[in-house]
Amino acid sequence: MNKKGILIGIIVSIVIISVIVVYSSSSVETENLDVRTHGMISTTMGSPILGNTSAQITIVEFGDYQCHQCYNWFHNTKSTVFQNYVDTGKANFVFMDLAFLGRDSPKAAQASYCAEDQGKYWEYHNQLYTAQESQIDNGWANSERLKAFAFSLGLDVELFDSCLDSGKYTKRVQYNIAEAKKLGANGTPTFFIIGPDGQQQKLVGAQPYSVFKQVLDSMI
Amino acid sequence: MVQTLKLVFSNHFYIVLSVVIFTSMLIGLLILSEYVFLDPYIVGHISQGTEFGFVLIVILSILSALVIPMNVYRINTLKKSKGKMGGSVFSSFIGSVAGACSCGPVGFAVVSTFGSVGATTLAFLTSFELPIRIGAIALLAFTYYATVKSLKIECKIR
Repeated sequence: MNKKGILIGIIVSIVIISVIVVYSSSSVETENLDVRTHGMISTTMGSPILGNTSAQITIVEFGDYQCHQCYNWFHNTKSTVFQNYVDTGKANFVFMDLAFLGRDSPKAAQASYCAEDQGKYWEYHNQLYTAQESQIDNGWANSERLKAFAFSLGLDVELFDSCLDSGKYTKRVQYNIAEAKKLGANGTPTFFIIGPDGQQQKLVGAQPYSVFKQVLDSMI
Repeated sequence: MVQTLKLVFSNHFYIVLSVVIFTSMLIGLLILSEYVFLDPYIVGHISQGTEFGFVLIVILSILSALVIPMNVYRINTLKKSKGKMGGSVFSSFIGSVAGACSCGPVGFAVVSTFGSVGATTLAFLTSFELPIRIGAIALLAFTYYATVKSLKIECKIR
């Protein structure tokens, strides 16, 4: 009886300690983050919202910084979508990481959040999609280059380097990948357009502006 | 060369086969390489900087539609080895795979299913999409040349 009580006590202690450890490690990353959902998507761990935060429509992009199609969308379509919907306040935009294409992909995603710590998430995001090279993992997005991008954007390099080297945002990126998986995003870029009534339209691939226009106009 | 083509494609079966191969390869590759989207609307789109990839897909589809029926004809008529047929199918397949499962519609699914091997293959295919396609075209062109040559010789002998 006594032995049984000790055993139960040990098990209960292990469970309590595990819960505390898990909670404390995740709270490091979630501090200062408001719980945010758009439709069925939890965007809390994603990028800051770009555009009018109270816009009726939200465009959520799941992307990888080493993905060529994301690069194509960024350079060919994004500016027109922004010009007509985000800059006019009709929609806002959130970027979430589906960093799976190479070993440098998760690191690049983490680096973008280190830049966010210094208020330059979107500048860093744009820098990565401008500097992308055609070969995956050829070194263009290794730690040294990611730090060099931070330097070129005028970030506090010491702060940035310690953030990146510590792996502070590893779990944040993993959470975003899990969220993508949960939503059935099988490739990048995948977009979810969430309308005012919570209706959700999934767009797979670097689709042209005409498709975005049709979907967005139908929700306004 | 023209005579050999006439010889093969005088039979309607090979014309139909050729059209089926060309259409299915072209449409399939254009969808997988994100030149054509089916959902939520059917739309075709060649974005800036991807024109060369599009041209390579068209060439690959045309060559496959020529070479595969010619080899089928060769096997049916001359009852020869299947070596050349294997070569043309192989190069068509390699060309099709290049870029087809990059970061597009199925990339993450490939990594999730095949783990690190899938990830390595995916990274390779994505990085070398255009060179692989060019290599497949070269292989198909060589197979075409070899098939025409052997058909000429074998038909003369017969």
